[in-house]
Amino acid sequence: MYQHNGEEIFVIDGHVHLWDATEENIKHEGGEEFIQCFYDYHTTFTPDDRQWSIDEYREYGADRMVEDLFGNAAADMAIFQPTYLTDFYEDGFNTTEQNAELATEYPERFVLNGTFDPRDGEEGLEYLEELHETYDVPGVKLYTAEWRGESKGWRLDDEEAFEFLEKCSELGIENIHAHKGPTIRPLNRDAFDVADIDDAASSFPELNFVVEHVGLPRLDDFCWIATQESNVYGGLAVAAPFAQNRPGKFSEILSELLWWLGEDRVVFGSDYAIWNPDWLVEEVIEAELTQEHRAEYGVEWDLETKRKVMGENIADLYDIDIEEKRRAFRNDEISREFGLGDHYASEEPAAADD
Amino acid sequence: MSGTESDGATPEPARAAVRDRLDRVTDPELDRSIVELDYVDGIEIDGGRVGVDLTLPTAWCSPAFAWMMAVDARDEVESLSAVDEVRITLREHMHETEINRGVNEGLSFAESFPDADGDVAAVRAELDEKARVARQYDAVEALLEAGLDADSIVDLRLRDVDGLEPTEAGDEEVVGESGDSDETVAVYVRDRSFAVSVPADPLERYLEKARETDLVSDPDDVLFRTPEGEPIEADSFDLVHQRGRLAQVNMSSQGGICDGLREAREGRLEDPADD
Repeated sequence: MYQHNGEEIFVIDGHVHLWDATEENIKHEGGEEFIQCFYDYHTTFTPDDRQWSIDEYREYGADRMVEDLFGNAAADMAIFQPTYLTDFYEDGFNTTEQNAELATEYPERFVLNGTFDPRDGEEGLEYLEELHETYDVPGVKLYTAEWRGESKGWRLDDEEAFEFLEKCSELGIENIHAHKGPTIRPLNRDAFDVADIDDAASSFPELNFVVEHVGLPRLDDFCWIATQESNVYGGLAVAAPFAQNRPGKFSEILSELLWWLGEDRVVFGSDYAIWNPDWLVEEVIEAELTQEHRAEYGVEWDLETKRKVMGENIADLYDIDIEEKRRAFRNDEISREFGLGDHYASEEPAAADD
Repeated sequence: MSGTESDGATPEPARAAVRDRLDRVTDPELDRSIVELDYVDGIEIDGGRVGVDLTLPTAWCSPAFAWMMAVDARDEVESLSAVDEVRITLREHMHETEINRGVNEGLSFAESFPDADGDVAAVRAELDEKARVARQYDAVEALLEAGLDADSIVDLRLRDVDGLEPTEAGDEEVVGESGDSDETVAVYVRDRSFAVSVPADPLERYLEKARETDLVSDPDDVLFRTPEGEPIEADSFDLVHQRGRLAQVNMSSQGGICDGLREAREGRLEDPADD
């Protein structure tokens, strides 16, 4: 758990990947461009002394991931969000099956999400059922702007997509994470468009819609939709690292989110391995809103808000009992491996003490 | 105007004039000049022929946005009377071949990208609308600072603003002159019962986009609108104003990402041994 001014903050990293961008796995030039672009994001927003080499970045493997996430207790749990990109990578870039390697080894620490693509029709529905049966996935990560053959993407409010959302609802897959941010080959379409979230969220009030990257190129549209739909959440991945090298801008973005959505609907994610929680969590928790923004928006980045955004909000979405986890982590495999038992020893409840 | 533009036998456009023209081209997503953003790598002038090199922050920059900037750059430079021919060269972009060919051969977006679903007009209109909303925030801020209240601001019509002439596209005389910060305009309120003096620049910038988006052209048109283009109810003034602030935060945040990506990529391309 992160120690902040003597207080403990339970951190759930809501957005992590275990990817394979080795040259052997790349089958299309787009796959190479994709990882290079990711790497530009990495170097842009990572402190110089914490940057990886491109070779490390292509394939970092399971052991390194576990250490980067949990080794110094920066994060307590993490949620896998797959990115298939099977047109670009032979075995996919980061699939549920690949992520399952770690998620099944440390089931207490990881949450494993699946995906669907309504263009797969009947087969896709079967695959979703299979993911549910095999891994009991509580959520899905969706890429509406992914090109496939003739198709230039899809929308969450398509009739076909609604069939899949109905299936999610039926199976109890409650958390729908939509990638609304930097994207793949949008051509003339506005692939960042978040408007499709609106109809989907009001048609499926029993599901939670997490807009990843807070729709950053369309933050304005996203916030406006989120004020009207109470089951829409903002995922901080990509916005979070602004805390490191553009603190004033981070203060402004966070102030907007807290003003429009409130402190209960913003959730943290590192987007590992684009960025490492081992430095990012600290940057975000220790970030301060400027006096000017605090006065202008009337919001605070205080202990209670930090606890919600860094863990409690997403714990609610995923039915994670933080107290139970704290007890379990006193002596789980990861705490033993990294000597973290003491971090979870305190009897003091994590929340409601401020 | 400089001596190079005199009526000689082979008039050559002045570099400054070309740059001023390019300065009017905006990154449609950020609503900032491509000159200010440092996207212009080079301007080559050879008699009446002008070559412009552009590089965007990332090879993944939306092809639609890249297309708009390349086309706008071509059209702006072409509008100079001393220019016979413009060649735009977009570099380091995943679709540079299609874009350079299309822009220089005068093709439409749909002709240049047979794979795409259609043209870029709808995306351009949407981005113009966002730019209009963001510019409205600055204009309204200026009016609030001048002492006007919400009720007066939502009632303003185009005819209530005095001293703003529409800038005609292709007008070479006004190059670079419009941004003088000490210029003011008079804004009449309460049925023209009194006027306040307001900095011209934010109102001018707002009106430029309000005209482009066909919202404000007739003297009787309501000056300020919701993001959806409707007149503003006085009791939702604060909320609409806050949405304008949000539109600005969105643009400047995206600008932060673009700046960072450009620096990172320049580093990578210049120093490949670093890998």
